[in-house]
Amino acid sequence: MGDFNVFHIMPWSGAYAIYFFVIGISAAMFFFSTLSWFRPEFQTLRFPAFAVSFVLMGAGGLLLIGDLSQPLRFLNTINPAYMNFTSPLAWGALNLLSFGAVSVAYFVMMRKNDEAMSKKLAVVGALLALGLPIYTGFDLTVHQNRPVWNTPLMPVLFVALSLLSGAAVAAFMAKEEKLLVMLRRFMLWSAGAVAAMLVSLLGTTAYGGSAAELTFMFMTSGALGAVFVGLGILLGTAAPIAVLLTQFGRQRGGIMAAGALLLVGGIALRYSILIGGQIVQTYY
Amino acid sequence: MSELRISSIETRGVPGKRRYAMVIDLRRCIGCMACQVACKAEFDVPLGVFRTWVPHKVSGKYPTVRKMFLPRLCNHCDDPPCVRACPVEATYKVDDGGFVLQRYDRCIGCKACMASCPYNARFMLPKHRTYTDITRVVDKCTFCHHRVTQGLVPACVQTCVGRSRIFGDLNDPASEVSYLVDSLPTQVLRPEEGTKPHVFYIGADRAHTEFGRKIYDPEGLVEVERAVFNKNHS
Repeated sequence: MGDFNVFHIMPWSGAYAIYFFVIGISAAMFFFSTLSWFRPEFQTLRFPAFAVSFVLMGAGGLLLIGDLSQPLRFLNTINPAYMNFTSPLAWGALNLLSFGAVSVAYFVMMRKNDEAMSKKLAVVGALLALGLPIYTGFDLTVHQNRPVWNTPLMPVLFVALSLLSGAAVAAFMAKEEKLLVMLRRFMLWSAGAVAAMLVSLLGTTAYGGSAAELTFMFMTSGALGAVFVGLGILLGTAAPIAVLLTQFGRQRGGIMAAGALLLVGGIALRYSILIGGQIVQTYY
Repeated sequence: MSELRISSIETRGVPGKRRYAMVIDLRRCIGCMACQVACKAEFDVPLGVFRTWVPHKVSGKYPTVRKMFLPRLCNHCDDPPCVRACPVEATYKVDDGGFVLQRYDRCIGCKACMASCPYNARFMLPKHRTYTDITRVVDKCTFCHHRVTQGLVPACVQTCVGRSRIFGDLNDPASEVSYLVDSLPTQVLRPEEGTKPHVFYIGADRAHTEFGRKIYDPEGLVEVERAVFNKNHS
């Protein structure tokens, strides 16, 4: 009774989770397009996967710019006089722009049927694509005051989530059986990695300091419990792993069902991790 | 003192560099909120956001009750995480003085500094303001940089009726803040974050400075008020 504090907002809204989701899929799709130069199973995905990656990269960039309170000043992030390389956002802006430039060059070279150059650009683009989930993970990791975020797991977790979501989308585009088999493996291994990392994340959060413990409570039995545990862990990670391990999970229908569940899990986990790290401090 | 410096940005005990700090003696705070009003007047701080604010808590049970105030503001950290987090150096630390300031014309509004601040000291300015045209960028307490560089103390310090807020150079051993920090037990908020805050409290209560379990199950009325607040500030 009688307590008073002013209200504080969560700086990063749920829109960032959508950006993480979209850019993660974009990165993975480019990776699959690159794989097509080295693995014949992926050959049919070469252009469609690139097209999805390119569209999603554009959508993600617009989401990111739209979320700024001064959208036109996004140009400041690429102004060499302003760049602050202690901020992962500065690296991220460069990564995203160079990924976009390489994507355009890759498209042009593919249209010209210059296979040698396309292959080289595909490799460079795949490395830059890998940087996207890594930098988004670092965006969260560097905030030492935020429970859940401030763990070395974040960049790796985001890479695994990116692969998993990308493989799920690719499964809906795959026509050949061989490709589906490969995508099933990607889904299974990346979902397994996510599950293992979630166990570690829950452990370090539950046994962290008071803010981390309260965050654990919010994310499991509190306001985020349904999204994080229900949609993210059970429906979006455990269930698809179980489906993929069954006989049904080796068939087209099963792989697609698992893919749909993984996509639900991918967005739910990103959302709950993003919001979970911010709840407790709004009361401080 | 220099052995306590970890990051190169820190100016603790660096000769020739001032390190302004505020000591808030909570034994003297009466919760009149005059500091909050003075700050609002000094900077035309919009409704709903604060550069300084005075939360209070009531502890104990009747008849042993106490109302505790904890004036809050930007801690002007010696190692500020917001400066690290800003991608365009819109927020920076003044080397001589230790003020953590904001370049409004450079801020892109990504809110990374808000996410990195352990003290909720930063806020987003609204779209519309009556007298000031600085809008939709992040703002915060400046330790009244414009006043201090003119030889004055911050507005909140000037107005404090109980002389609860004391301001000065911590690198000057003859200053009142140095005397208080050196001779009395003081507390800082969230020392575990390694930010080296420059706001020191005398008599801060753990019930106030630490996260309590109560926030997991806040009272209904608070949540209703929060919902209204969120609606008005979305």
